Amino acid sequence: MTRIAGPREARADEAGRARGLREGGPARRAERRPGWRRRIRSLAAATPFILPSLAGVLLFLVVPVIIVLVLSFFQWNFLTPPHFVGFANFGTMTRDYHVFHALETTAFYVLWNIPIQTLMALGLAVLLNRKLPALGLFRALYVLPYMSTPVAMAVVWSWMFNGQSGLVNHLLLLAGIHGPDWLGSTSTALPVVAMVSNWQYAGYNMLFFLAGMQTIPPSLYEAASIDGAGPVKRFFRITLPLLNPTLLFVLVTDVIGSFQIFDTVYVMTQGGPGTATNVINYQIYSTGFRNFDVGSASAMSLLLFGVILVVTLAQFRFFRSRTTYEVS
Amino acid sequence: MRTLRYTVFYICLTLIAVVFAGPYVLAFFGALKPPADLYSSSPWTLPHSFYTGNFRTILFSDGFIRYLGNTALVTAVLTVGQVSFGVLAAYAFARLEFPGRDALFSVYLATLMVPNIVTIVPLYTMMRQFHLTNTYWAIFLPYVLGTPYTIFLMRQYFMSLPSEVFAAARVDGASEWRILTRLVIPMGRPIIITATLIAFVFGWNNFLWPLIVTDSNSRQVLTVSIAALQSSFSEQWNLVLAASLVALIPLLVVFALFQKQIVRSIQLSGVNR
Repeated sequence: MTRIAGPREARADEAGRARGLREGGPARRAERRPGWRRRIRSLAAATPFILPSLAGVLLFLVVPVIIVLVLSFFQWNFLTPPHFVGFANFGTMTRDYHVFHALETTAFYVLWNIPIQTLMALGLAVLLNRKLPALGLFRALYVLPYMSTPVAMAVVWSWMFNGQSGLVNHLLLLAGIHGPDWLGSTSTALPVVAMVSNWQYAGYNMLFFLAGMQTIPPSLYEAASIDGAGPVKRFFRITLPLLNPTLLFVLVTDVIGSFQIFDTVYVMTQGGPGTATNVINYQIYSTGFRNFDVGSASAMSLLLFGVILVVTLAQFRFFRSRTTYEVS
Repeated sequence: MRTLRYTVFYICLTLIAVVFAGPYVLAFFGALKPPADLYSSSPWTLPHSFYTGNFRTILFSDGFIRYLGNTALVTAVLTVGQVSFGVLAAYAFARLEFPGRDALFSVYLATLMVPNIVTIVPLYTMMRQFHLTNTYWAIFLPYVLGTPYTIFLMRQYFMSLPSEVFAAARVDGASEWRILTRLVIPMGRPIIITATLIAFVFGWNNFLWPLIVTDSNSRQVLTVSIAALQSSFSEQWNLVLAASLVALIPLLVVFALFQKQIVRSIQLSGVNR
């Protein structure tokens, strides 16, 4: 390789001198050379680095968004020629009970998922944020579910929540309770599916909170203890406010993901029983790829995009309005 | 008093660990029991013997090995491509100066907000247009050229590397390519490992896109075949559990091997935002 070894400062010095020498003569003229030449050269140098990913972003992200916008104005079933219908797809969507019901189901899913998951993550972080032996092992065990295939884990959880042979009802029977058919009942199916996500991502989110807690200076806690603040007060007055940025990051990314739940629903309930777990992503999938109503599916996916944008912006607003403390 | 408190603390931690690791253990128990035992014994009891019949049935059932191979192949291509092209782009955004760089980067960032499902319908129509449905290409093509998220993560990390080293290398006449291979890649190892793990887990677990873009048996991937087994063998839990474990075991192995890096890399991705 180019020898970069040796004292770096000395190298840089040498370099400076060398440049000085060169700049004395012909370099003067180079300065007067039109800037676009250099710009073109720098562009040419960067192109091979950028080109593959730029092709990817344009072809598989930007162009699809344009196509989905166009498709939402057409009626199409992938086979016969598309038929322009104006805003009709959006019109039927606002009148379609299924779409609103699916959005409502998604909202309930998010509400079953996010608050519990975030509280679990915070609780775990509080438990593990101390210096004691073997905590690394426990931390690893709590993160483990993050590294699982949602489809495969959905199978395992379906088995555990199975009405007849499932673990959960076996355990309940020991306490003398006859458990329900969890995934076959409209009142329990959605919370059970949400619970699987809680299980999968609580430990993962715990890591962010742990990282955030470790940036809080211990002197703050010491000062608070001297002032007579107990552990509960210290948590609510110091830890939680200082975790605001972490909380925002965790909530924004989790809520975006939660609105797009699909894999576990597909495996565990297929949107049922009835429409109890028919979340918006599942509705879009069945509209587009089972009923082949491409225009409506496109319009619905744009609706989901809009909802996610609004919810994300609302979260940023909410967190900005709260006091953030600067600790250096 | 103190020891009592520690004991209670560690008992709590262990109980929580049972909740998080338990489903894996129970899945192994269930998959290692002969069909008759699965229903006659309680789910939490150990299997009497190592009954491998379920795994054998699944592995030799039509096409399963092939689906496993498909997943492995697609994941490998996707991971190698996504990381290599991602490193190139991240290096350019972090360390090269060229006109339009920042504007272009904000386009990349803006695409982060697009939900996956929004691109699924148009991507499928594109693949149909180019007669690529039911091919390996279709499964990995949308993700193989780098994704904005990992490019963003790596760019942040590359920007934090000391700039004197780069200046010195340029002065020595090193080409950009040489700087990339001899400086950026060795120094950026932690974040490159992170990107590799993200790509691998994504490729291995990907479900919705392969479900839509493949409809023949020859190109089906593992996740799609597990979902299909679940509905066709609905009450033969031992078989479906064995199939699920085939998907889960490689991830368990990766986790066991890279546990420290994984934990650190997740935190890296959160802090480096």
